[in-house]
Amino acid sequence: MLKSYIQIAWRNLLKRKVFTGINIIGLAIGFGSSVLIYLFLSHHFSYDNFHANSERIYRVVTEGHRDVIGYDASVPPAFAKEFRTRYNYAEKVAKISNWDNNLINISNENTVAQVKEDAVFAEQDFFEIMSFPLKERTGNRTLDEPETAYLTERMAKKLFGTDNVLGKTFILENQETFEVIGVLKNIPKNSLITEEIFLSFVTLEKFGDFVAQDTWGGISDNLQCFVLLHPNQNVAAIENQILELPKEFRPDSKNKHIYKLQALSDIHFNARYGGIDPALFWIFGLIGFFLITIACINFINISAAQAFYRSKEIGIRKVLGGFRHHLFWQFLSETFVISLFALGLGIVLAVAFLPSFNNLFQIQLAFEDLLNAKFLIFTLLILVLVSLLSGSYPGILMSRIIPVLALKGKLTHNDTGGKTTRKVLVIAQFTISIILIVATVIISRQINYAVNSDLGFDKESLVMLPIPADLERVQLNSLKERISQISGVQSITACLSSPGGADNDWGTSIKFNNRPENEEFSIQAKLGDVDFLNTFDLSLVSGRNFFENDSVTEILVNEKLAEKLGISASEELLGKQIAMNGGGIQGTIVGVVKNFHNYNFTEGISPIFIADYHSWYSELGIKISEGNTAHVLAQIGEEWSETFKGYVYEYRFLDDRVARQYENEQRYLSLSKVFSALAIFIGCLGLYGLILFFVGQRTKEIGIRKVLGSNVGNILALFTADFFKLILIAGVIATPLAWYFMEQWLQGYTYRTEIPWWAFVLAIVSIMGITLVTISYQTLKVAIANPIKSLRTE
Amino acid sequence: MITIQNLKKSFRTEEVETLALNSVNLKVEDGEFVAIMGPSGCGKSTLLNIIGMLDNPTEGNYNFAGNEVSGLKESQRTQLRKGNLGFVFQSFNLIDELTVFENVELPLIYLKMNKSERKQKVRAVLERMKIAHREKHFPQQLSGGQQQRVAISRAVVTNPKLILADEPTGNLDSKNGIEVMNLLTELNQEGTTIVMVTHSDRDSHYAHRVINLFDGQIVTESQNRAIGAMV
Repeated sequence: MLKSYIQIAWRNLLKRKVFTGINIIGLAIGFGSSVLIYLFLSHHFSYDNFHANSERIYRVVTEGHRDVIGYDASVPPAFAKEFRTRYNYAEKVAKISNWDNNLINISNENTVAQVKEDAVFAEQDFFEIMSFPLKERTGNRTLDEPETAYLTERMAKKLFGTDNVLGKTFILENQETFEVIGVLKNIPKNSLITEEIFLSFVTLEKFGDFVAQDTWGGISDNLQCFVLLHPNQNVAAIENQILELPKEFRPDSKNKHIYKLQALSDIHFNARYGGIDPALFWIFGLIGFFLITIACINFINISAAQAFYRSKEIGIRKVLGGFRHHLFWQFLSETFVISLFALGLGIVLAVAFLPSFNNLFQIQLAFEDLLNAKFLIFTLLILVLVSLLSGSYPGILMSRIIPVLALKGKLTHNDTGGKTTRKVLVIAQFTISIILIVATVIISRQINYAVNSDLGFDKESLVMLPIPADLERVQLNSLKERISQISGVQSITACLSSPGGADNDWGTSIKFNNRPENEEFSIQAKLGDVDFLNTFDLSLVSGRNFFENDSVTEILVNEKLAEKLGISASEELLGKQIAMNGGGIQGTIVGVVKNFHNYNFTEGISPIFIADYHSWYSELGIKISEGNTAHVLAQIGEEWSETFKGYVYEYRFLDDRVARQYENEQRYLSLSKVFSALAIFIGCLGLYGLILFFVGQRTKEIGIRKVLGSNVGNILALFTADFFKLILIAGVIATPLAWYFMEQWLQGYTYRTEIPWWAFVLAIVSIMGITLVTISYQTLKVAIANPIKSLRTE
Repeated sequence: MITIQNLKKSFRTEEVETLALNSVNLKVEDGEFVAIMGPSGCGKSTLLNIIGMLDNPTEGNYNFAGNEVSGLKESQRTQLRKGNLGFVFQSFNLIDELTVFENVELPLIYLKMNKSERKQKVRAVLERMKIAHREKHFPQQLSGGQQQRVAISRAVVTNPKLILADEPTGNLDSKNGIEVMNLLTELNQEGTTIVMVTHSDRDSHYAHRVINLFDGQIVTESQNRAIGAMV
């Protein structure tokens, strides 16, 4: 029986090539998208599942309670030692510190190679907690020994060009030499650790880094503390116990710390602590569902419409003894055959578009990731599900056909049924398309709003240039002087970070005007020299700029500080003393700058102080004239390289840095653009199939109308009017849904665009236009045909 | 084999109720060949559909081989029909996507007969109907007469007790028509009961008995004296 079903299915598919093609292409796009989404989700859900003790591994994180709660994936540097010695909850405790984009010099006989790589300073116990096995090492040496390093196999090959790297050395940041004492097996791509160079943590001290100190005085995002708990520990009880640590070690801080144990499995998914935004998974799931649904709707609509043409076959089968269930399963097996082809094509499409997908999401998924039992189960499940979803309804319709009518040719299109269902399904397709178009418009508007709004500082033609740490003021000024003399350079400043580039910023407590207590809120440090205001075009609303001084005596603040302090006129801040960083930075407020957006638009404006603290400066901000940029940059490069021999000249434009704050939004935009286009394309395929059917069904009617004087326009209107009605109904359904979804999304932004009414009109009109184009060809073909020909179809 | 009493069939639309069969009483004995005649719209096909269990009467009784059929559900009617009844239609009603062999095989598949037995039976009936050389062809590749022979093959492959023929020669030229009628007569002579709806006086002469319907009622019934005269 099954063979007979499949045989007739195959012949039917060949007989109706256009409909088969429409169904296969639509489903293939749906399947292809599902395969990509499967790869994406399975990659993310597999994060860090390879560690032998993963269920006992935790990262200690901090909730900082001030006027608002802050979340840091870190702890004060002294935490690890205290936790290790005071309690017996953990088998191992280890700190790591992530350093990005480090300059690494490798001497190789007569040549010195320079590369920029990320690295991790790690305590040896980190390798007892995590499963990053060593492939080989020198004797029993470990990272407990200063100036030692482990490399992964891949990094060893990259840096030294050979597998045999034990004993070889490299220099980090032109400062410390590290000896390679171990080679680790390559780190899986689903690891939270992406670095491939591991340096002994004790060496961090030589770089004078804050996290190398055993202090409770603050938190650095660079530091992470992992613990491997003994079996069967009560995490809540541990968290409760360690509440005593901040009370003991930070009794006076206004920033009340609460330390939490974050399970390893939570790290990748907790946006609060720097994990991926879970909204992305929902969006992906929803999009996959939408695309498959639209493809299934096509299938259902086209098949249901075709039920009429297959009624004779069904009638005969029934007369010859076929039960309803025979016919139902026969149709389902046809659906299965189509779905199987579509799945094959879908996998090919997914593999073909994998590189673009990887590029969009900055991941490295590969075809090999599909070669496993899980994927096989996934494909079988989705195949069966889609076959059932698509095949059931047409199967039921066909099995209901009354054989007497079918065999006598007395069956009408109404008898095969499904007219209302078909309309409902077409409305569902239009609704999804309208929602996706509105989403694309709103996301695009929000990005434009964020990127093109006045951020309160100048970001155009501004080049940011990293500089080595701990430069003397004289060196800095000399370099600034030489660069400023280059034609095309308008102004130059040395700073810790630019406005709108908050990566290096740090928050600290503030004591205002010798008040006995620190304020409840924190203030962000924006360190820069006297040219900071001028270069970034920050506006002073009162007071003046500070004068250059070897130590901090004068300080600028933003308007937000006045607001936070409850001071209505910014002038009242002038002349007041403020102390930050536990008194490490203090001075008199001499000027108040207009608020500017230091963070992206999801966050509000924080209180900020600007002080001239040259030993912290890490980059130069250079405002250059528009035009001839390449030449100016080349000249700056010459000066820079002259000053910093042994360093790599690299720069970044500030507007790129600001735009990078909206990377997630750009991804959402690309996603909504691509998937809207796909959804509309699949929908159009379905519409094309339906119009083929409708035109066939109404050929005689068209002939009669033409004989009676109807013109081409009337006939086109006859078909489009039906669809336009459905689009308008879809518009009515889609509008509140799209508004709700996008309003929810926009509520994540402190500064946001509004949802314009025309976005909905645009979406509805676009769908009408696309529908008109889709159905025009077939409709016009029959509309301009000789009416006698149409009437002969009878 | 068939006993019909007071059979009524009405069709109802939103506004009009049409009585297609009105108090029909009919008996068909095993081995009979009965022709039903009458003008278009008199209810011939409706009666044949009810006898063929493709439709249910509105009122009255229909007993087939000892089974009361009226009031049966569709699935029960299908079950009773399987293997007991064979159909021959004016427009052949072969499935275009199946070959000659597969078309004839289909009722046996629904009877869940095993493959080798099916093959044997289909081959035998195709040989008998002299169409075996076309077994791999599709219906569109055959002439009308050949298609009707395939349809008859399909009707008889299950050795049914009753064959229902609805204007079996209506779409055929006279030569092919005679061939088809000869085949039906042959089957009848071998013991198969045949009920045939026809417009053709010539075809009706092949039957033992001719029933004339008018406005849903049997108006005349005549024994055919010239059985086999045309054979």
